[in-house]
Amino acid sequence: MKFKLWLFAAPALVLYGGFFLLPAVQGLRYATTDWDGWSPAFNEVGLANLTDVVSNDDLFRNALTNNLKFLLAVVIGQTALALLLAVLLAARSRASTFLRALFFLPTVLSSVSVAFIWKFVYDPNFGLANNLLDAVGLDAWKSAYLGNESTAILWVAVAQVWFHAGQMMVVYIAGINQIPEELYDAAKTDGAGRWQQFRHVTWPMVAPATTLVIAYTTLQSFKAFDLILGLAGNPPRAGLDVLATRIYSTFANSQLGYAAAESIVFMAAIALVTWLQNRAGKAVHR
Amino acid sequence: MTTYHRRNLLKLAAGAGAASFLAACAGPGGSTKTTADTKAKDLSFAHWRAEDKAVFEQIIADFQKVKGIAVRQDISPSNDYQSTALQKLRGGTIGDSFTAFRGAQFLDIAKAGVSTDLTGQSLLSKYEPSLITAGASDGKQYGVPYQLVFNTPLANTDLISKAGLGEAPKDWQGFLALADKLKTQGVAPIAWPGGDAANAGQLLNIMVVNNAPADDALGKIETGEYKVTDDWFLTVLKQYAELRPYFQDSATGTSSDAALALFAQGKAALLATGSFQVAGVRKLGATFPIDLLAPITTTADKARYEGVFNATFILGVNAKSAKQDNARAWIEHLSDPAVAGVYANGTAQHVTVKDVEYTNADLKALAPWLTRKTALAPRFQFTNLDIRGAVENATVAVAGGKSPEQAAEEAQKVIDQKK
Repeated sequence: MKFKLWLFAAPALVLYGGFFLLPAVQGLRYATTDWDGWSPAFNEVGLANLTDVVSNDDLFRNALTNNLKFLLAVVIGQTALALLLAVLLAARSRASTFLRALFFLPTVLSSVSVAFIWKFVYDPNFGLANNLLDAVGLDAWKSAYLGNESTAILWVAVAQVWFHAGQMMVVYIAGINQIPEELYDAAKTDGAGRWQQFRHVTWPMVAPATTLVIAYTTLQSFKAFDLILGLAGNPPRAGLDVLATRIYSTFANSQLGYAAAESIVFMAAIALVTWLQNRAGKAVHR
Repeated sequence: MTTYHRRNLLKLAAGAGAASFLAACAGPGGSTKTTADTKAKDLSFAHWRAEDKAVFEQIIADFQKVKGIAVRQDISPSNDYQSTALQKLRGGTIGDSFTAFRGAQFLDIAKAGVSTDLTGQSLLSKYEPSLITAGASDGKQYGVPYQLVFNTPLANTDLISKAGLGEAPKDWQGFLALADKLKTQGVAPIAWPGGDAANAGQLLNIMVVNNAPADDALGKIETGEYKVTDDWFLTVLKQYAELRPYFQDSATGTSSDAALALFAQGKAALLATGSFQVAGVRKLGATFPIDLLAPITTTADKARYEGVFNATFILGVNAKSAKQDNARAWIEHLSDPAVAGVYANGTAQHVTVKDVEYTNADLKALAPWLTRKTALAPRFQFTNLDIRGAVENATVAVAGGKSPEQAAEEAQKVIDQKK
């Protein structure tokens, strides 16, 4: 019987092994070489690539810093906005159904389309953002947006939040709709106002949804490769370079061995952040 | 019976898994054999010039009539082409004939054995010998640069004349004075796509050629012989700082399309990219006369060059292709002066082919630059794209407000790590 069960899983296991596990092993192997990606010959470099990536590569460190900034901004911004929208639109009415659809709409767009839209918004000369600021007399707030090295990645985070907040809103709405009405009735009986109802009923009860939203948002943030390339161009400048684009640039620079080493550190960074998030999530909801 | 099958299956699965694991652990490196799709009848021509598609279609139609060979254009955006062309060409599925950027990409393609050697081919005699050296490596002619572009700022000569300028400034102070006059007239003196990595670096060409102690100075930065913290390069960066008030607002966030639009709409007097954007300017409806105007970054007596040119769009035949003869015939067709003329006049770009008659008004206007003292664009001396990025990012950082010294130190640190 057990054997037959394995047979059911076999196609998935073969695909997982062929398209994930083996390339991952291959990546580990390549990381120990200086292979350029096309030569028949290569040199063994041991762990030199990995030590360079972690200790002697300002471009990689800059990309990691940008990625963490982006991650933090997106996780906080997207989670908060999704929760806010879900709380406001959880009730069933025609207006809320329409608004849910409206906020969900960006999710169905492709990353390239989203990048195109926000490129237009952020263009400092002809873009919507600066023109709006001009129109309302706030010229002093006009900005170069993606041209500002220190804040550029945060402007991309705004686009990412716009892109995916509607999707996370749906997860939260599902979570909120699962909360028994009796809990709110009891809270009201105890004299709880709207904020207290949210604080002591909604927030703890949507903890599983929050964990899911944060985990998913974290992965999305690390994978925001196409949105960033679409907005920043290829290769992105230092202020917009994240780990995924850095690895791609290294690959394009005919340094496949080094790019493989960067990928390993990238995977380790995702694993570490996910582990920390799990620990933090458990601590908060304990 | 069932047990027997199960064991066999398990053994098979374990064997296949172990074999795959060992294969994954094997060293990298690939075969060099021909892998192209021999069944496909049409020829793939890989390039990055989407704006030239219509003109190429016209040339392809003629080629098909004469030779009976259909050509399919495989076009990628220029930045993607720079990143991925080599891997695609190696696969042989696209690019029976292809193009390459001068510098890192061409050299990598040649080193990877993807280009066939064209040395001794009769088609080479149709080109200006001095303009196709960028297609040679290790004494072999692996490709022929097709386009001759000037990586020198475009100038709206109407606006320049209104600023009361008869001829181009001969030195740096003259250039700054011109920029000042243009600014007082309410136009941005220079439209610069500082937000677009590929085009932001075009300005570096002209900013470097007269300041550099040697023609191959940027290449020497990569080898470590020169540093970006050296006085000459600090001068370059300080001049970028002097240009800050003369770029359009928020220049570091301006895309190439936006800079092009500013220039085409007459809101900027200069476009700091090059002649390859003339057709784009015209497409946006600009009717003003266009010339080139190079900032001379030294005093007049020390200036060695009046501008910058580049010989690029290097045509090659894919060594991985099974249709090399047809690919060579296609390149021969493009090398014909009459065909090259169709391309040049249709795309408003000069070509490296000899005896081409330029009928396009812009090409005629820029024709005097063909005999002026221009330097081969130095930014393509970089073969490491990270180092090129570090140097060019330093110029953008300075334009954005960073001190030249700090920008140079940060760039040099990256160069030291990456060289």
